[in-house]
Amino acid sequence: MQLSTAEETIQRLIFSLSELEQLGQTLISGHSNFNVSSKTYLRIALGTLQSTRGAILRFHPADNYLTVAASAPERRADEKSLIIAVEPEDVAQLLQHPFIQIGSPPTGLEGFFARHAELCAGIDARLWVPLKIHDELLGILSLGRFLGRTELEAWEQELLTILAHQLSIAIAYSQMMEGIQGEKFRLFMLAESAPQICQLLQPEDAAQQVVHQAVSLLDANAGGLLLKHSQQPEIEWKYTFPETLASEFPTKIQLDGEGVGEECHTEKTLADVAKEGKTAHTDTHEDARLGANNIMAVPILGRDADVLGVLVVGDKEERGGRITAFTDEDAILLDSFAKQAGVAIENAQLHQEALEARHLQAEMEEARKIQENLIPETLPDIPGYDVAGHYEPRGPVGGDYFDCLELPAANRWGLAIADVSGKGMQAALLMATLRAGLLSEVAKTDEGANPDRDIAKRLCDMALTLNSLLYASGTEEKFATFFYTYLNPETDMLTVLNAGHNPPLIVRKDGTTQWIGEEIGGLPLGMFPNDMVPLIADYAAEQVQLNSGDVVIYYTDGVTETINIADEDYEERLEPDAVEASQAPNAQAADIMKHVYDAVIAFQGEADQFDDLTLLVLKKK
Amino acid sequence: MLNKFDIQIRDEQDYAVIDTEGYLNDALGEALSAKAHGLIQEGRTKLVINLEKTALINSIGISILIEIIEALDEREGTLNFCGLSATQERTFRMMAIAKYAGIFPDEQAAIENL
Repeated sequence: MQLSTAEETIQRLIFSLSELEQLGQTLISGHSNFNVSSKTYLRIALGTLQSTRGAILRFHPADNYLTVAASAPERRADEKSLIIAVEPEDVAQLLQHPFIQIGSPPTGLEGFFARHAELCAGIDARLWVPLKIHDELLGILSLGRFLGRTELEAWEQELLTILAHQLSIAIAYSQMMEGIQGEKFRLFMLAESAPQICQLLQPEDAAQQVVHQAVSLLDANAGGLLLKHSQQPEIEWKYTFPETLASEFPTKIQLDGEGVGEECHTEKTLADVAKEGKTAHTDTHEDARLGANNIMAVPILGRDADVLGVLVVGDKEERGGRITAFTDEDAILLDSFAKQAGVAIENAQLHQEALEARHLQAEMEEARKIQENLIPETLPDIPGYDVAGHYEPRGPVGGDYFDCLELPAANRWGLAIADVSGKGMQAALLMATLRAGLLSEVAKTDEGANPDRDIAKRLCDMALTLNSLLYASGTEEKFATFFYTYLNPETDMLTVLNAGHNPPLIVRKDGTTQWIGEEIGGLPLGMFPNDMVPLIADYAAEQVQLNSGDVVIYYTDGVTETINIADEDYEERLEPDAVEASQAPNAQAADIMKHVYDAVIAFQGEADQFDDLTLLVLKKK
Repeated sequence: MLNKFDIQIRDEQDYAVIDTEGYLNDALGEALSAKAHGLIQEGRTKLVINLEKTALINSIGISILIEIIEALDEREGTLNFCGLSATQERTFRMMAIAKYAGIFPDEQAAIENL
């Protein structure tokens, strides 16, 4: 049956009304995303107006451009990334016209359509209907050819006006919902991030999370965290996103000195934020390393408002992947986040310091136990001699060691005193290595019927063996001064070897004194490899004859370097105190040692001491 | 600034699993959207998105996920997520994504509940 024009019009009106109702339903269905619902809107518009082609363009007022939200039939895959720049004066013109015929645009818009002729042809645009609420442009409904007619009838134009109004409301509603969703996301991330990052106790984890959260929060494409060095005027990268970004920067940025940031605008910006403690957002100019277009950096402040570092984000993106500038609101948001980040980073740093202190304390205690186990609790009885020793830890664990060894050969004795450099576990282990090496070496010195044969050479060989052992087990900073005495009580002859140790003092029975081993001071053990030793200071031994009543006082530098509150050291006092102690009637080795020890303690008074104190006294009865 | 990302699709008979890797921002989001819409166009209405290798999502990524949910909803389809971190799961619940899509601790559970 052929429909009359009036009947057809009525049927299309009914259809249009039902479609308009559907459009209203779509609008309130909860589908807030315009990119999805715009396809429905376009389908309804084209169906109602019997148009074959069309598109809905969305206007982005912050940056004045249009993008394709929906098109029918769907066109190129990259259609969504098309950007149509609109000058402010073009916006004003578009707002003035309810309908714009692309073939004969109104005065003032000829230039605009001439510039975008290719694009209009691409979407087969014949008629543009600006979508607006009041004087705010929201988008464009672009329509192509109409079926069976070249122009819309009056009632169709009225219908199109209603449709455009509905679409405008839909866009405004979507914009509002997207804005609310975006803010909801940011507020949630901000609220969520604080407890999350504050739980992270490893500084590396905290740095990573802070950067990730900041990048996510600001819709950025890159970010990084720099922290201030505790001693040096510099900030150092702790984490970057993407991680590969770190390779594009020097590890550290100096905060003072000439020429800071002259070659790199980004680095200068970051240095300024660290120095001044103020937020900065800036274009990156030609040095597009952190963010190809722009960056925003905020200071990370500690509890005392001191600048701990700088948090930076780069290249804020918007839908469509376009990079846009950070706004003042973004700066406030990042600044709020940085306050939380400051607490988290400071917490992690304090936790790390506490852990390190606890670890160091545990290591010190362990080292102390090792060291104390190496010191002999009792000393052997040497026929015709009296011997006493004392070791006292003072301050961090040092590496003092002394021993009195009964050698394999009958009635031969070895007295050793050593001071290992450094402190803590490494020093204790080096001392244990030295002792193990010494015990191994002295076990080889049995020469049968003539135990003293080549003793000087044998001691030098022993020193080289110990040097090699310590050199192999330590670093250049780890070495030991060492003094060894080979004692033959049958002849009262001492054969001594000195590897960089303080020379012991002999106090003769008549009160005269003699420093021994001073002229033969070789290198400390473990400082250089064996082949270098002869080139610098080779090991040598010397012999010293003891007589009845003579006293030998061995000591470590903890004795001579004991300081008093006037910052004077004890070194000059040792000799007179040792003489006084040795000259006391019937003084035993233990008495002499105690006398010297008491003199040292009296000398130091209230002054703090940082080195262990060791005394070893040998007296020929 | 180019962040590396990757998308893999495992297209089974009744459903498809999409694995994402990298920062779910506009670039990854658009690529994910294209893949998901491609599957929907081909008639797949049951999808699983595995975000195990996506540690970071921004607001644009969230809005694109919502688009995919809405596109599937129009076809009366089902979308389930898995491999989410605790923060991501809370974010999804807060952003009402969990209202229209399932969230499961592992892929097996996400597939079984399609």
